[in-house]
Amino acid sequence: MSATGPVNGGGLRARGLSVGYGGEPVVRDLDLDVPPGGLTMIIGPNGCGKSTLVKALARAVRPVAGEVLLHGRDLASYRGKEAARHVALLPQSPIAPEGISVRGLVRRGRYPHHSLLRQWSPDDDAAVGEALERTGLTGLAEATVTELSGGQRQRAWIAMVLAQRTELLLLDEPTTFLDIAHQYELLELCAELHREGRTVVAVLHDLNQAARFASHLVVMDAGRIVAQGAPGEVLTAELVADVFGLACDIVPDPRAGTPMVVPHARHAAVVPGGAAR
Amino acid sequence: MTPLERTAASGPRGVVTLGSRVALPVHGRQLLVGAVVVLLTAVASVATLSLGELGIALADLPSAVTGGADGADAFVVERLRGPRLVVALGTGAALGLSGALFQSVTRNPLGSPDVIGLASGAGAGAAVVALMMPGEVPVSLGALVGAVAAMVLVYVSTGSGFRNPGRLVVAGIGVAAMATAFTQYVVYAVERDKATALTAYVNGSLAARSWDDAATIGVVLLVVVPLALLLGRRVEIGEMGDELAGVLGAEPQRTRVSAVVLSIVLSAGAVAVAGPIAFISLTAPQIARRLTRGTGAHLALATLTGALLLVLADLVAQQSPIDDGLPVGIYTMAIGGVYLGWLLTREWRRGSL
Repeated sequence: MSATGPVNGGGLRARGLSVGYGGEPVVRDLDLDVPPGGLTMIIGPNGCGKSTLVKALARAVRPVAGEVLLHGRDLASYRGKEAARHVALLPQSPIAPEGISVRGLVRRGRYPHHSLLRQWSPDDDAAVGEALERTGLTGLAEATVTELSGGQRQRAWIAMVLAQRTELLLLDEPTTFLDIAHQYELLELCAELHREGRTVVAVLHDLNQAARFASHLVVMDAGRIVAQGAPGEVLTAELVADVFGLACDIVPDPRAGTPMVVPHARHAAVVPGGAAR
Repeated sequence: MTPLERTAASGPRGVVTLGSRVALPVHGRQLLVGAVVVLLTAVASVATLSLGELGIALADLPSAVTGGADGADAFVVERLRGPRLVVALGTGAALGLSGALFQSVTRNPLGSPDVIGLASGAGAGAAVVALMMPGEVPVSLGALVGAVAAMVLVYVSTGSGFRNPGRLVVAGIGVAAMATAFTQYVVYAVERDKATALTAYVNGSLAARSWDDAATIGVVLLVVVPLALLLGRRVEIGEMGDELAGVLGAEPQRTRVSAVVLSIVLSAGAVAVAGPIAFISLTAPQIARRLTRGTGAHLALATLTGALLLVLADLVAQQSPIDDGLPVGIYTMAIGGVYLGWLLTREWRRGSL
């Protein structure tokens, strides 16, 4: 355990992490300290390795080099269920078993807390009930997952990982397929968990949303981290031009004061009185 | 009672506890359905022993099955219908469980080891033994060797063992086609007259089974059923996709390989004693799933349903006025065809096909 690590042993860290699927590594020799209790948002262009990084942090893919450390110990050395009691991951496209109810799905999040002969634990009902309540699904608990709307379904999956009651929660593009109101609803839930002290890591596509909600912003490009820190310091017009190839202005978000990306208009109609550069 | 109070209570609802180490959830509906299936199986078993010319009168049945019969009744119980009934129960159970495991881990509702060539391999093995070296080796052993050889071929030709469900099915269909072609060749090349001896076998039959056959399938079940039940919960979590199941700690790929191997052992055991009986492993898990309206692999219920289906089919085969020599496999194939037709029209109406 490093002397600089926080009291809890340093939470989740990547050291010299390379991950690939046979060919060129998608994540290359990457170091990351996930700030304990932080709301970390990972952004980057398509194919930059951000999804692969969160998967590796949750042990859904094995590194080809380097390691992921959980409380100072190599994550690969944890037993499956033991790791799952610390780290939860919601993948991009999870599969709902045919005919499963919302409550049934959420209850499966309790699996890591069970053993072969003890498939029930005293905390189960409380954890499942709380997860349903936080996601506003208590009234839909007995509904079948497949008959829910897209937004409700995503909330059911979030409830499942919440029921796992891990200190670390990793979400891979949780807002994809949601309409804008549901996107913000989900981001508010992340912010709420963060305020309660939970460590949350999310991969996001929308830079403005990431900048508005993140306590720690990680920018990736070509398998590496190119910048990280407070959104106000990290997100600059130069960085967006370099990483995303998009010319833009950064203006303060009128509501939150966080940096907001305003792309330069190329083909769109220019509003009279709009600033030209 | 509020949910909180219920949590605080020592004896949770719907959970059976034994000390502090054992706590298993029970599902009321599944228990009820299971009990009904067992009851129906008992009724069908009694009918199997007592119907028809040689049937034992209901009044004499209790003493007959406990060894108190004499004369014709003893012959029926000990030689004729007794072993046949027990083989039907065991083989049906093995096929039901085999299909439930296979369908769950390959996420394919039409899956069973037959789809990947187990039955065709068994047929090819049986053909070689029955036609090319008649009398030297038992046909059932040839079938078993053929089935195992086909499965080894599938395992090798996918390039990823039994881990990838898609490749498994594609390679399996190829192996099945080759095995069928090989059987046809042997039948054609050797002697077409002798081939009639093989047809009963290729369709799967329960006629003239012995207590040895019953013991064989009994041992297979005794070994595999406990292992399958231990694997059950992981199989269930695996239905949520490999990525999520892995993160939850359910080791999906290892679970899949174990489940496919257990499924193959069960089907191979069934093939060894009864030949390739079609459709039980396909339909039993589907029927079990629809009866409980729940989720999961329904391993226990699929096992019971398989036993019920095969006993029923064999009862029909024995008592049918059409032809008393028709092998049971032909009846199960008819049942399966009707079932598939129903399934397809239903999915078609719902617009999901």
